[in-house]
Amino acid sequence: MIRRCLILPLRNGISVCRNNSTAVAEQAESTQESNTPAKNPLDHPDYFQVHNLFTVKDLFDARVHFGHKEGSLNEFMTPYIYGSRQGHLIFDLDITAEHLRKALNFTAHIAYRGGIVCFFNRNALNAHLVEKTAMECGEYAHTRFWRGGIFTNANHQFGAITRLPDLCIFLNTQNNILNQHTAVRDSAKLLIPTIGIVDSNCNPNLITYPVPGNDDTPVAIELYCKLFKAAITRGKEARMKFLQENN
Amino acid sequence: MFSSVSMCKTLKSCNVLFYKRNFSISTKLLNTDSSDASITSEKRGFAKSFEKQSQLLQEDSVPKHTFASLLRNSKLIDLGDPKDKIVIGKIFHVVEDDLYIDFGWKFHCVCTRPTNRKDDYVRGARVRIQIKDLELSSRFLGSNTDLTLLEADCKLLGIISSPIRPTTSEKSS
Repeated sequence: MIRRCLILPLRNGISVCRNNSTAVAEQAESTQESNTPAKNPLDHPDYFQVHNLFTVKDLFDARVHFGHKEGSLNEFMTPYIYGSRQGHLIFDLDITAEHLRKALNFTAHIAYRGGIVCFFNRNALNAHLVEKTAMECGEYAHTRFWRGGIFTNANHQFGAITRLPDLCIFLNTQNNILNQHTAVRDSAKLLIPTIGIVDSNCNPNLITYPVPGNDDTPVAIELYCKLFKAAITRGKEARMKFLQENN
Repeated sequence: MFSSVSMCKTLKSCNVLFYKRNFSISTKLLNTDSSDASITSEKRGFAKSFEKQSQLLQEDSVPKHTFASLLRNSKLIDLGDPKDKIVIGKIFHVVEDDLYIDFGWKFHCVCTRPTNRKDDYVRGARVRIQIKDLELSSRFLGSNTDLTLLEADCKLLGIISSPIRPTTSEKSS
């Protein structure tokens, strides 16, 4: 750790070298870390290295940057749009990549802590793929008709005390063209964090980690499924390793 | 001065060289040190163009992966105005007489099976289509936003290759 000295020139020309206030604390922490090898994963910005799972070129090849036409743009999506080409909107993949990294990091942390993840997708074209992905990573998916009270009236509808998901991943936030999926609003009501792929006609407001991008092309959905599955798998493997080390 | 003029007359681009030599001579009068170096290192004619062309080839081999450059060199930008452009698509789903064709865009298009060579249109066949509209969406009276059909509108022109009938591949764009 290099001590950073701030040289402050005083009025009579004598300079005072003041140490950086956190330098002493950093040294104490480093000695503590060397004594106890267990690091808190939350301290690390990318503990599971999910940033290496994809590149901007992968997103580009999976047609993530394609948006709908200008006429169906939701006003809240304008900060994520790079521009429009012949009336068709293009997402800024640099912004998308940053959001996707945050979302994947969050997913991996939730999986590390043993949380339940639920995938949502109401596009019939990709429903089977999403269900298969959820099954492969040992999590859950709901791609059918959503009855009103599944989250808000869960104990009554399922007949027993139910544990709700700890994370909802929406690969398509729309139920149909006109309406948003009810689970977006219900997750916000019940304080369940959500990750959602928001297209240019979607409303990103209620979603905790929105990822602006294409949600209509099967190639793009395949990429998202692959990335989320990889993030969840990494989180779970780290959890297994941690539990084995401590037992 | 006169010798340089006579030399220039024999060359095709004499005007350019004449002015160039004039410039180099004038700089020689002003600064003796820099002009010597400039005259000896300055390549002209074939040598200069060879250097330039080889540098161009080297620059192309290094791929740039910024989003802006990827978009600029993408097929979508090459397309220009998508109306009435002909592209190649691939059939990814068939439902009786409807063919679902994916041509690299956000949406697929749905076309009816044509009457000639109807049995060749199976999953995996490559076809030629003409784009009418990249997204079927329009604003209806009384609504705030457009209503989209999540489909492109294309006209099916013909088949290029089909897994049913393996023929010699035609010239593809």
